Amino acid sequence: MGKKKRGHPDVEDILSRPWCYYCERDFEDLKLLISHQKAKHFKCDRCGRRLNTAGGLSVHMNQVHKESLSHVENALPNRQGLDVEIFGMEGIPEDVSQQHNQRIIQNFYQAQADRYAATGNPPPGQGGKNPPKKLKIENPEDIKKRLAEHRARIAAQKAAGGAPTHTPPVGAPDGQSPAQSASPGTFNSPFPPPGGQYPGFPPQGAPGFSPPPQYPQGGFNYPPSNLPSRPGSNLPAPSGLPLDLASLQGDHIDQIIRDLERGEAPPKSATPATAEEPAPEKKSKKDKDKNVRMVYDDELSPEERMALMPRYAFVPQAV
Amino acid sequence: MAPTTQFELAQPPNDAISSLVFAPDAPTRLLVSSWDKNVYLYDTHTTAENGDAEGGVSHGTLLKTYEHRAPVMDVCFGADDNEAFTAGMDWEVRRVDLESGEQTTVSKHTAPVRRVVYSKAHSLLISASWDSTLHIHNPSNPSLTPLTVTLPGKPHAMAASPSKVIVAMTSRLVHIYDLATLAGALESQTGSAPPPWQQRESSLKFLTRAVAAMPSDGGYATSSIEGRVAVEWFDASAESQARKYAFKCHRQTDNTAAAGTTDVVYPVNALAFHPVHGNTFASAGGDATVALWDAEAKRRMKVYQKFADSVAAVAFSADGRFLAVAVCPGFETGMEDYSGEGRTKIVIRELGENEAKGKGAK
Repeated sequence: MGKKKRGHPDVEDILSRPWCYYCERDFEDLKLLISHQKAKHFKCDRCGRRLNTAGGLSVHMNQVHKESLSHVENALPNRQGLDVEIFGMEGIPEDVSQQHNQRIIQNFYQAQADRYAATGNPPPGQGGKNPPKKLKIENPEDIKKRLAEHRARIAAQKAAGGAPTHTPPVGAPDGQSPAQSASPGTFNSPFPPPGGQYPGFPPQGAPGFSPPPQYPQGGFNYPPSNLPSRPGSNLPAPSGLPLDLASLQGDHIDQIIRDLERGEAPPKSATPATAEEPAPEKKSKKDKDKNVRMVYDDELSPEERMALMPRYAFVPQAV
Repeated sequence: MAPTTQFELAQPPNDAISSLVFAPDAPTRLLVSSWDKNVYLYDTHTTAENGDAEGGVSHGTLLKTYEHRAPVMDVCFGADDNEAFTAGMDWEVRRVDLESGEQTTVSKHTAPVRRVVYSKAHSLLISASWDSTLHIHNPSNPSLTPLTVTLPGKPHAMAASPSKVIVAMTSRLVHIYDLATLAGALESQTGSAPPPWQQRESSLKFLTRAVAAMPSDGGYATSSIEGRVAVEWFDASAESQARKYAFKCHRQTDNTAAAGTTDVVYPVNALAFHPVHGNTFASAGGDATVALWDAEAKRRMKVYQKFADSVAAVAFSADGRFLAVAVCPGFETGMEDYSGEGRTKIVIRELGENEAKGKGAK
């Protein structure tokens, strides 16, 4: 499991990119930034001439078109001023530059954290040390240890040449051993017992689950198609899981033990199960990215709504 | 004094603006209908004597106001610069003589009248009301019994091209009527309304907000409450229909929300085609911006500086030199109360020579 570079640039890389004071956009190189500024911020809207600076544009507007430039076009609301002389990266006030860097750094670490959360990958340098995995690894080791003890006991028993009937002191632990090795059941514990109710998931068709009727008028059912279809809820994963483990735990204890002998099969069989968890989470993340808030969402037009207000309503008088 | 490219009109309406329109001839004559029950007539480029009291910030002159009984939902010019028609919340369509201020009721619906358009070429006045009908008049021949066209839904937007009128209704219905056919039906006085020339379903999935027709008579653009604009062509042939498209606009990404980034989608309140550069149209959004688009090249040409509030309406002057922008608070879902008082403005922008000229399809 070598570290893989995923094409996510380092902070330094991002910080070193030239960026535009007026719109905070960043560019590959300075040339691109300057041509961007000339096209977006220093272009005369009368004749299309591109100037090098806002001051230059202002003078141009004054002399050629007899007009005064009041603000820089396409700029962020607080960056429209003509008082700062910007050319490429030159002239950016220190505090604005610091703010920008801070924002970049913050965004970078936010994005990094999001990536880790989304992929479930540990941050570099902490591989395997995060608690959830530790838990899962610990258990098989316990089993192994117990298994080793058990074998030692059996071996000792055999070495002692004990007859099968001659069991009293050793037989008890032997009889208990299934129960004990069934203590992998602890690694079952996060999941409810098989066949039981999953309180988190109401049965399909429960009122909470039916999609709310968005448009009372017949045949007008668009919004769903506009949204990315939700992954068919998380039901399959949890319902599949306990069953698997149940079969593993119930009759196939021996199988587990044999697998363990060959080398840590259960952790493996557990990983796909846990690997399934991030998947729906990822999808819901994607949904989040596409969060949409409509400022106006109604089948009645805004005017009809307004017309209902006493302030605007017209009460027809009896004519 | 160097003319600034953009200025606010003095004495704006007292409440939200429902519509504004430039006169067919004079490029500085502007009519504005408001929820404050008045229609305002401005000259956008003369400055009143007392207008400079506040240091020359106020421009234009309020020539006259025309009081109505109820909020005025729409206004349009008639045969000349002195005739106007208004659509009222009081169910009436009125003719206003802008010179004398005299008002006459042209038509009575049984619900508020949403839109009114006038076709000079066919001398037809068409009003669309929430009673789900169109009333069709010939104001130059009032002896004719007006024609009533029943619609399958409440109309929300209407626009006339040189030969057609497009009516956008609830449930994404769009009917296109042929003006000549309507004029013929009115003339024949049989009282039977002709069927629509075309019936379409909106290309947009949400409630239609505005319609504007290309001056070239080639097609039209519609917009919806869900930050989207569609451009379509009248021609029903497969090739022409394949050219239609829709795009997202008037949206903002909000990174401040706790739940990650949210796309805030604003309604597109109004559309207007440029009378000279016929492929250019302006869209006005609840996000307080106005954008210019090239319908042919499918490009955005310009986005203007954010205004103080939502943009309710836009209009180009007949010569295409000026753009009037109605700014007032936007109505949002769940609002219990609304008032545009004190926040309503009219901004006039003088367009540069090539500001609205498209680069052509490429």
